[in-house]
Amino acid sequence: MAVEHPASPTIADKIYDKLFHNYVWKSIFRTGYPNTPRNQMLVVATNVFLHLHPTRIHRTHVKVTHTYCLGGLSFFMFLGLTVTGILLMFYYVPSVDRAYLDIQNIQTNVQFGQLMRNLHRWMAHAMVILVFLHMMRVFYTGAYKPPREFNWVVGVVLLVLTFLLSFTGYLLPWDQLAFWAITVGTNIAGSAPVLGPKSRFWLLGGLQVGPDALIRFYTLHVIGLPLLAAIFMAVHFWRIRRDGGLARPL
Amino acid sequence: MATAVVARPVARPQARARDEEVLVWPDLVFIEFIAALVFTITLFALASVMNAPLLDQANADVTPNPSKAPWYLLNLQELLLHMNAAMAGVIIPTIWLVIMGAFPYFDRDNDGQGAYFATENSVKITVVAGVIGIVGTWALILWDSGKIAFFLNDWFGLSGGDRLRFLENVRSFQSQVQWPDWASDIPYLPFNLKILASDAPGGPTEFQHIDFPGFIVEIAIPMLAMVALPTIMIYAMWRLGWVQTRRDALLALFSGFIGAYGVLTLAGTAFRGQGQELVFPWELKVSEGIPGQEAH
Ligand code: HEM
Repeated sequence: MAVEHPASPTIADKIYDKLFHNYVWKSIFRTGYPNTPRNQMLVVATNVFLHLHPTRIHRTHVKVTHTYCLGGLSFFMFLGLTVTGILLMFYYVPSVDRAYLDIQNIQTNVQFGQLMRNLHRWMAHAMVILVFLHMMRVFYTGAYKPPREFNWVVGVVLLVLTFLLSFTGYLLPWDQLAFWAITVGTNIAGSAPVLGPKSRFWLLGGLQVGPDALIRFYTLHVIGLPLLAAIFMAVHFWRIRRDGGLARPL
Repeated sequence: MATAVVARPVARPQARARDEEVLVWPDLVFIEFIAALVFTITLFALASVMNAPLLDQANADVTPNPSKAPWYLLNLQELLLHMNAAMAGVIIPTIWLVIMGAFPYFDRDNDGQGAYFATENSVKITVVAGVIGIVGTWALILWDSGKIAFFLNDWFGLSGGDRLRFLENVRSFQSQVQWPDWASDIPYLPFNLKILASDAPGGPTEFQHIDFPGFIVEIAIPMLAMVALPTIMIYAMWRLGWVQTRRDALLALFSGFIGAYGVLTLAGTAFRGQGQELVFPWELKVSEGIPGQEAH
């Protein structure tokens, strides 16, 4: 009678074993691919990036047509903008003498500089659109209703922060488009009764768009507003978990 | 002294339905991964074929005509053309953000929660309110830029003559109506001032002045349009029996807003040419220079 022997390991198995079961790899990834439900839940609960999620969610929410991933993609844009933004910061100095030349330099002399600038620009537009669409999807699924009232408010703050992030970034290339768009934009803000002129002055650091405005917009754009947005996003995500995951019909 | 802590009826998270749940890994993580991948690829593709704009270096002496804010603010810039600047640029957006933030505190039950268009009539309300928002906003823009009068005249030979000229757009209400002189210069006292004799120690009372026709045109009519039209729409839908709950009212309000907001953004972006004239998108061009003596 023939006896079945376990097949002896092939070359591929050996390579796989050497690559992924060695001491260094295992020090980083404590386990292999999580192929049992128990391990799949564990990986979501213990991985620093995945633990924003619960380990299990209601089946209606994994349908793409429920969220269209819009909130997640807004966050993804935020991350991508952070990465490309940091790369741009290496080359960009927010002074009236240098800003424009630095952008030109990024486009012509820096390896992948033009690509980084393009990505940053188009992602910024995409984020504004995605956040707005996300708000629409939340509204039309009635997901602002109790107990998610406050998270909707946090969302409205995030919408404003997204606009402000984009608006402050708009000035930085210091070209005609930037200069006049910000002039028009801050004139709009300056028309407010009582607080308008003062807040315009604070925003610009003067009466018109100039060196002080550039440094203020830069500082707000690269640290002030992203920090605020990150804090509000942290609250936003935490509240989603606290409110029992995404909304579903009663 | 006893203080009682009264438990308020605050909504609690729903009980979980474990048998209806799926694992986040792999089901959700996979979808997120694909979505991120699709966006990464699309954005890289876009970024390699389309460059971010870079015009000439900023120059405070050379004003492009038209000068425009970033596109997502052009809705406000469009409003600005039709009314008082503070109202269009700051007051209305602020009020709207507050109203929107207050949605969940107005509509507090769980009707229609967690699924698209789950309540009766919701599709009907959304579509009709959206269309009204779109058509109504276009109509108002066309009217206020004098285009409706122009079309009536040019295409159908209809003309109201001088008698109806004041209907041409909002501001002609100010310029084409015979207002008595005092109307544009009504003195009034700011809140806390008293009437003082002209030889009083603090000097005579300083009056402020209201331009009444200006107020009508810049503030009252636009405000009326923005408050009354949505109110009438929601009221009509209520009388029709479409709007029955607060959720329904919000559906109408929000959908009307989306329609109007979209049109304002589009009009400001693609239909406003030199001097903020209303033109077709293919007629758009920008010239630079000191107003009146542009280079070309
Ligand atoms: C930077 C901006 C934002 C980010 C990164 C973000 C992110 C997210 C994510 C990842 C979710 C999970 C579900 C989904 O993807 O749809 C979510 C849900 C939610 N978001 Fe946002 N969001 C942002 C802005 C907003 C805005 C503008 C609003 C509303 C005004 C909002 C209100 C909500 C609410 C109420 C939920 C819970 C939805 C539910 O239970 O179905 N968020 N958000």
